[in-house]
Amino acid sequence: MNTGFRNQVVPEYRLLTESQIREFHRAALEVNEKIGMRVSSDDGLALLQAHGCTVADGHMVRIPNYLVEECLRSAPSRITIHNSLGAEAMRLEGRNIHFGLGTDLLNTYDLRTGELRRSCLQDVANASRVADACPNIDFVASYALPQDVPTNAMYLECVKTMFLNTTKPIFTTAAGLEDLQVIVEIAETVVGGAEPLRAKPCLIHYSEPTPPLTHSYGAVRKLFYCADKQVPVLYVPGDVLGGSAPVTLAGGLVLALAEAQAGIVLHQLRRKGAPIISGVAAVPMDMRTSIMAYGSPEFRLTNSAYSDIFHWYGLPMWSTVGTDAHVLDEQASMEHAFSTLLAALDGANLIHDCGYLGQGLVGNPAMIVMSDEIISYVKRVVRGFTMEREQLAIDEIRATGAAGNYLASEHTMKFHKQELWRPSLVNRDDIEAWKQKGSPTYGEKVRRKALQILDKPQAPVVSEEVCARIEAIAQRATAALAGIEFTA
Amino acid sequence: MTADVFTTLAEAVIDGNRETAKRLVEQTLRGGIAAHEILDKGLLPGMDIVGQRFRDGDTFIPEVLASARAMQAAVGVLRPLLTDRDAAATGTVVIGTVKGDIHSIGKDLVGMMLEGAGFKVIDLGIDVTPEAFVQAVRDHRADIVAMSALLTTTMPSMGVTVAALKEAGLRDRVKVMAGGAPITSAFAQKIGADGYASNASAAVEEAKSLIAR
Repeated sequence: MNTGFRNQVVPEYRLLTESQIREFHRAALEVNEKIGMRVSSDDGLALLQAHGCTVADGHMVRIPNYLVEECLRSAPSRITIHNSLGAEAMRLEGRNIHFGLGTDLLNTYDLRTGELRRSCLQDVANASRVADACPNIDFVASYALPQDVPTNAMYLECVKTMFLNTTKPIFTTAAGLEDLQVIVEIAETVVGGAEPLRAKPCLIHYSEPTPPLTHSYGAVRKLFYCADKQVPVLYVPGDVLGGSAPVTLAGGLVLALAEAQAGIVLHQLRRKGAPIISGVAAVPMDMRTSIMAYGSPEFRLTNSAYSDIFHWYGLPMWSTVGTDAHVLDEQASMEHAFSTLLAALDGANLIHDCGYLGQGLVGNPAMIVMSDEIISYVKRVVRGFTMEREQLAIDEIRATGAAGNYLASEHTMKFHKQELWRPSLVNRDDIEAWKQKGSPTYGEKVRRKALQILDKPQAPVVSEEVCARIEAIAQRATAALAGIEFTA
Repeated sequence: MTADVFTTLAEAVIDGNRETAKRLVEQTLRGGIAAHEILDKGLLPGMDIVGQRFRDGDTFIPEVLASARAMQAAVGVLRPLLTDRDAAATGTVVIGTVKGDIHSIGKDLVGMMLEGAGFKVIDLGIDVTPEAFVQAVRDHRADIVAMSALLTTTMPSMGVTVAALKEAGLRDRVKVMAGGAPITSAFAQKIGADGYASNASAAVEEAKSLIAR
């Protein structure tokens, strides 16, 4: 692309034409206006009705086109996320790409014993520490869903653990409004109050509607709470093609887009301009095993399609990477590489589930390390190259001629570091040097690196005082939440 | 004081600063320090550090070559003042890409790295016949002859060169090294070479160890 300033070569990828984007948009508008959404929250219903929505067939709320479009306009075009020290960490806007972990993996591959076992709280700490040491991982999430803490306190324990192990921004789910409030209180304690958290948010809450066409009581409550507190919220439907959504990619996209639009309406009607991150996950169901196929090519296509749509809306949006392999193997690396490259080419702002294995059910800290290097590779690809006179190097070619070489030239010295990617773990040794090092596989190297990170003594991330205060909050909340039932 | 001088010399080599290296060598000589001391205590230790950093992945080929050129410039000032014995501490290498093969980049790289390590390098270029290798070994009283090949079809020329060295009665006076993408240590052994290296920095180590033997 010739920008008029610098002649820069950048890979460009768009899946949809503008007329196709408009058609998807109109189709989703039609679903909202003519079919409607089930909203299982009286507050939500009342708010929608107060703004001109009608209720038909008893429970389906029909949202007029103009209201959807108004809310798409009032939703912010950009959200800046900070780290817990208050420094700018991610600018969710335009085609900026940021990468991070995902939440809730039930099983963890134990690096030390080699055993695949149920996840525990230490796995959350481990994932945060490994992610903290990985320069291309921009945000953290629980990664593991700990089975060794009281069920109702799982999410707040995760958030507390993340704050104790990293300063990177935190992306978290919650069981209900009750524990989400505690999670926000923990975040406020770490950053020094409600106002600092609002001004420089370091926490993103991840909530979701329930396809098809349903916004649960619990989901709407959390959505409203985030709007009120101006906590950045991600409200993304996870539609399973052939399960909870039409099997056709286009149909799944229409349904999911309509659900995402309705979420934006609910959120923006509650508080105009409150920060929301959008997107969808339209994932195919494997018709032999019924799993949600994270590593599938169709998921890449639906991701690219809605990325184009949300870029057209001008709204911050997310994307997903991952694999269906249960161990860190060839399939895991293949599917992570494809999904990471495409998410980056899509210009997705918040790319999550880096390091995910096993259809969103298995974690392995070494996979985070591998993901870090895949991201580094992908960033080099999407950075492209410059082709100004100096880079075209005609003078250099003349000076070197046919008999010389470029090994020791000033030109090589000047440019090699910015032009050439320097891997950290992939093999670039010749066969002899590689044999001398014990012929290590890439899998062995990322595992070793993850252990190295975990074996390093850790400097405290928060002060003793803050640590004591968030421990106290967690303890009190664990007691208060014991035995309650979260309403879906 | 002298320790500082040697450290500064080493740093100029490490930084790849040709002008500084030359100037420092001249200054140090004027200060009355012997040429062989400048080489052994300043320049070579600097280059050793560069080599170590390169093997550890902390520095890259262009930086190593910049250091090598700084080293060459400095040694250029010293050379007239070094006795044969001093110069022999490193040695003379005749290097070339074998007959039928016109690939020079790997050979160039090894040559530059050897120069950086203090060797005197006679580069015969590409498509070098066995006779030309023999002649150069004789003319330059080489300690090592280093052959490179990229094509499997030109590998046999290495064996022919070894035979030609034997024929000329030079084989006992010179060590033979073989390298290049298709070469293995087994092949090097089979043709009767003394050494083999799979990459440029290993080639420098191999050359040093052949000289020390």
